[in-house]
Amino acid sequence: MSIRVYTWGLLVAFLAAWELVCRATGISELVLPAPSVVLTTLWSGLATGYLLPHIWLTSAEMLLGLAAGCGIGFLCGIALGEAEFLRRLLYPYVIASQVIPKLALVPLFIVWFGFGMTSTVVITALICFFPLLENTLTAIHHVDPQKRELFRMLGATRLQTLFRLKIPAGLPVILAGVRVAVVLSLVGAVVAEFIAGRAGLGAMIIASQGMMDSPLMFALLVAITVLGIVFYQATLFAEQWLLRHHMKGLEQ
Amino acid sequence: MSFVEIAGASYAYRVGQAREIVVDRVEWTIGQGEFHCLVGRSGCGKTTLLKVAAGLLAPSQGSVYIEGNEVLEPSAQVGFVFQSPTLLEWATVLDNVLLPISLKRRLLPSDRQGALDLLALVGLADYAGRYPRELSGGQQSRVAIARALIVEPLVLLMDEPFAALDAITRQELQDDLLRLCALRRTTVLFVTHDIAEAVYLADRVAVMKQGRFTHALTIDLAKPREHDVRYSVRFNQLCLEIHQTMDAPG
Repeated sequence: MSIRVYTWGLLVAFLAAWELVCRATGISELVLPAPSVVLTTLWSGLATGYLLPHIWLTSAEMLLGLAAGCGIGFLCGIALGEAEFLRRLLYPYVIASQVIPKLALVPLFIVWFGFGMTSTVVITALICFFPLLENTLTAIHHVDPQKRELFRMLGATRLQTLFRLKIPAGLPVILAGVRVAVVLSLVGAVVAEFIAGRAGLGAMIIASQGMMDSPLMFALLVAITVLGIVFYQATLFAEQWLLRHHMKGLEQ
Repeated sequence: MSFVEIAGASYAYRVGQAREIVVDRVEWTIGQGEFHCLVGRSGCGKTTLLKVAAGLLAPSQGSVYIEGNEVLEPSAQVGFVFQSPTLLEWATVLDNVLLPISLKRRLLPSDRQGALDLLALVGLADYAGRYPRELSGGQQSRVAIARALIVEPLVLLMDEPFAALDAITRQELQDDLLRLCALRRTTVLFVTHDIAEAVYLADRVAVMKQGRFTHALTIDLAKPREHDVRYSVRFNQLCLEIHQTMDAPG
C-alpha cells in the first residue's frame, strides 16, 4: 500500500522538478517544454478530438498485428513442436527471418502494400510472430516426460495429448511470450508509422518534428506510454484469468 | 494359474555401438489378486521392467502376457502409478481422477459418482473440487492411486509411488492401498527400494540386481497385515534375508 504512494510521489516529484527547471532557466519550449505545457497540449488534443483518430489507428494497427502475429506464431510453434521433421527443416529459416531487422523491411513493404495501415500491421505481426513461436515451441518441448508417459499409458491420441496436456501445461510459458509480444507490438507499430504511416501516433511524431512542435511531440510520447501501459495491464489481467486454475495452491 | 507372466523379457538401450542391457531375461509370474513387490537398488532396471510390463517400452527379447494375451501397447486393463503423482495442476482433483475415462469417451453422471466414491475410499471425499497444488504430498499420491483405479484395471503397476512421503504418511497409504486392492482383487506389481515396505505389502518379493532377478521370497505373514507386524520377529527376519541377498555379490 505505502509503496504505491511512494511510486506516485516519485512521479509528482519528478514532474515538479522538471517544471521548476523549465521555469527557472527559461529554457526554450523547442528544446524542453514544461510538463504543464505538455499536459495542456495533450488535453487540448484529446478535448478537440484531434489526437483521437491517431490513437485509434495506432491501437488498431497494434491489435491487428498482435493478433495476426501471435496467432500465426502460436500455430507455427505447435506445428514445429509436433513435427520434429518440420522443425529441423525450417528452424534455420525461422532464425534467419528473425535476425533481419524487421524495420529494415518497411521500405520494401511500402512497395508491396503501399503507405498506411497494411504495411504497419504486417511489420507488427512479423515482430510479434517470433516470441510466440519460440515460447510455444519451448513450452511444448518441456512438458514433464512422466506426464507424457501417463497420457501414453492412458491411450491418449496425439490431438488429445496436444490439447489436454501440452497446451495447458505450456500455457504459462506461451502467455509470457504474449506479454513480450505486446510490448514489442507497440514499438513495431509506432516505428513502422515513422516510415510508412500517413496517420497514427508514430506519423504524428515525425510531423511534429517537421513543425518543430516539441510540446506536441512530448504529448504524443505520453499518449504512447499510456497506451502501452494500458495494453500491458490488460495482458496481465488476461493472463491471470487464463492461469487462474494453474495458480491454485501457489498463493501461500 | 499365472495371471501376469513375464517370459524371458529383456530390454537393452543402444549406446552408440554398444548395447547396455538393463533388463536381462526376467522370468516371473503373478497369480490373480496377488500383490508382488520388486526390490532393488537404484539403477538396477526395476523401473524399466515395470515399463516393459506396462507396454510403454517394447522388450528387446521375450514377452509379457496378461491373462494369456501378449502386452504390445499400453491398455486400460493395466493401471500405472508413477514415482511422482503427475497430476494435471490446472484440473480439479475430480477431473484428474476422471482423466482416464474422459480421454476415452464422454463422461456420464455415473462416472462422476464413481469417481466421488473412489475419492471417498481414499479419504479425499471433501477435496473433489480442489486443485492438486492445494493438497499435501500424501493427498496427491492418493489422487494418483484413485486415478489409476477409476477404470478398474486388472493389474496395477506401481513405481515407488510413496518414495517421497514421510514415514507415517507412507504407512497410512500402504494400508489404504492394501485395502483397496483386496477389495477389488487387483493384481499388483509394486516396485520399491524400501525393504520394509516390500515385506509389509507383498505376498511375494523379488530381488532385482543388475537387470536380473536374483532371489524370490514368499512372505508368510498373516493377512490382512496389522501395524504390529512391523515389529514382529518374522518380519525382521524376512527384511534381513532380503537385505543380505541384496548385499551378496553377483
